[in-house]
Amino acid sequence: MLGTFIQQTVNALTIGSIYALIALGYTMVYGVLRMINFAHGEMFMLGAYAAFLVLTVFVGDIGAVGAFGLTLAFFGAVIAVGFFGVGIERLAYKPLRNSTRLAPMLSSLGVSLTLVTGVQILAGPQPVAFPSFFPTTRYDLMGGTVTSVQIGILVAAFVLMFALYTLVNRSRMGIIVRAVSESRPTAQLLGINVNLAISAVFFSGPLLGAAGGILYASYYGIMSPTMGAVIGLKAFTAAILGGIGSIPGAMLGAYILAFVEVGGTALLPLITNGVLGTEYRDVLSFAILILVLLVKPAGILGEPVSEESMVYKREF
Amino acid sequence: MKIAASLCLGVSLLATPSFAEEISVGLAAPLSGPQAYFGNTWHNGFKLYWDKLNAEGGVNGVTVKYNQQDDKADPREGTLVAQKFCDDESVVIGLVNFNSGVAQSTLPIYEDCELPTMTFGSNPDLTKQGYKFMVRPVANDLANALLPAEYALQKLNAKTAVIVSDKQVFGQGISEIFGTNFTAGGGQVLDTLAVAPTDVDFTSVLAQIKAKSPDVIYVGAVMPQIALFAKQMHEQGVTASLMVPDGGYTPDFITQAGEANVQGTMVAIQVPPMDASPAIAEFAKLYKEKYGEEAGPYSIYGYVHGQILEAVLKSTKGLSREEINDALHVVKVQTAVGELEFDDVGELKVAPSYLYKVEGNDFKLAGSR
Repeated sequence: MLGTFIQQTVNALTIGSIYALIALGYTMVYGVLRMINFAHGEMFMLGAYAAFLVLTVFVGDIGAVGAFGLTLAFFGAVIAVGFFGVGIERLAYKPLRNSTRLAPMLSSLGVSLTLVTGVQILAGPQPVAFPSFFPTTRYDLMGGTVTSVQIGILVAAFVLMFALYTLVNRSRMGIIVRAVSESRPTAQLLGINVNLAISAVFFSGPLLGAAGGILYASYYGIMSPTMGAVIGLKAFTAAILGGIGSIPGAMLGAYILAFVEVGGTALLPLITNGVLGTEYRDVLSFAILILVLLVKPAGILGEPVSEESMVYKREF
Repeated sequence: MKIAASLCLGVSLLATPSFAEEISVGLAAPLSGPQAYFGNTWHNGFKLYWDKLNAEGGVNGVTVKYNQQDDKADPREGTLVAQKFCDDESVVIGLVNFNSGVAQSTLPIYEDCELPTMTFGSNPDLTKQGYKFMVRPVANDLANALLPAEYALQKLNAKTAVIVSDKQVFGQGISEIFGTNFTAGGGQVLDTLAVAPTDVDFTSVLAQIKAKSPDVIYVGAVMPQIALFAKQMHEQGVTASLMVPDGGYTPDFITQAGEANVQGTMVAIQVPPMDASPAIAEFAKLYKEKYGEEAGPYSIYGYVHGQILEAVLKSTKGLSREEINDALHVVKVQTAVGELEFDDVGELKVAPSYLYKVEGNDFKLAGSR
């Protein structure tokens, strides 16, 4: 029983970490631009494909990749996707920045479809086997099984999230980003380079998403052009749950969602004596989301709606 | 003058079909997405047979044109394709729908427009709905899930099993049949778990299974889920024997799950080994020559469906949909997988089924019936 409990906790932490890395991208973009970037799930997918490309083209034989090759592939891919994200913002969102609120969102849907279809054409629609970034070793932890891949994901996710947190709260760039997210016109009046702040957000969001994608692909062993769709939706849910616009909220929401999902799988059949099976897992997670939004519309750590962040009906 | 010209044109257009001895076959299967490999290679087997016949002048002067459409393994896409075939007068027979769930929604449409089909979906219920225009030239899930259950009980000496299904028409159907057969043979089903067809993470389900420590796990799902399941099962240290349906019979299953993670996994499928008989070996050779790769898991059935169509065209009274349907239901034909004929609901009278075991990076025949 204890073994199963530990096992499920580790499982939840692993999935939660991946959700969190993606949820951060949604929440940061919303923070500065008040828009939902539907193409963000695709950054996650591109991360995996970019890393795979680096591995096959620049490093060579997938089977015998050394630590150096893997590091190169990881950082090469996340930085490339980061710049790609900045490029997308310049091309597809910036021209629409002063348009209706709906326009950039529709534009992001278009970008999302373009990217998925593009990868399908270039790399083929089939799922592709992805090499593991860590050698898989099993550890026994009081009856539960923990793999080295899970530990690797946890460590990598915590390091990245800590780095982001420090960057936002302790650096000059962080101050600029926070100022823009509080009020764009005021920040602009005070002489802050708004475009730079927005670019910084569109660099770090996709970078984290891409890192999530690489970790995910190496954990599950496959990648496919459509892998960003479902996980993107889950991460978006996590961001809303935690309070969209709030960085700690996105992390918290991601872990809550993961624990509800895993807990749902583990406990639903037990509690209901088999009446509700594991297939009700998603019903449970989304029911909780609805409940939270009914009680606290801004999400768990979301700020109460201010005039600035309010979405007016006429804007649609 | 204009009217006269268009009348002439109209008459000549009407007259043309009776001279051109060409029929269209509607081919529908997933040609993109995770199951694209199955759909494409199945259709390739059919084309392999008919490209050769067409080149030789067809059957009694009748040649076959392919109208190949992608149903994306999606019932909604499938129904659109079905309507397309129905509306196209030149399509007189369909080779349709790799997936049971898709066939479930398209068969009523084909029935309405009286288009005879050879349906590949293997859910047993498909032939129980009184369709007059369908046959199923492949073993259904009753046969496919019986062999694994027998093997688990008799050869693996299994007493207990846990069943996981993806809640789709195929996955749930076949895993229920496995459960029934396993229980009927004296085994005990400890638990039945369901996952969503889009799930990629099975660790929490596996932790539940691990606590029950069954002898056998049967996963009623398709690729890539079964590969992910196999990989995570091994990584989580679950040691039960894994059994999966036909979707696992592809090299992708071994590469995506990782060779070490699928050793000993049992895969049940209707396809004989490629060296089972001279006719099959010949087919495998021709396939490789034409397409430059090994035959896919169901290519042999595409080839067999080509042979069935050949026999139908030899015996049919005419080329209308109705006449072809009549000939299809009474056909008796010697094919690469043996002699095939259909019973009154369109099910095969004798349906071959096989069970393979993963050894190294290959599938070794473990049993058949």
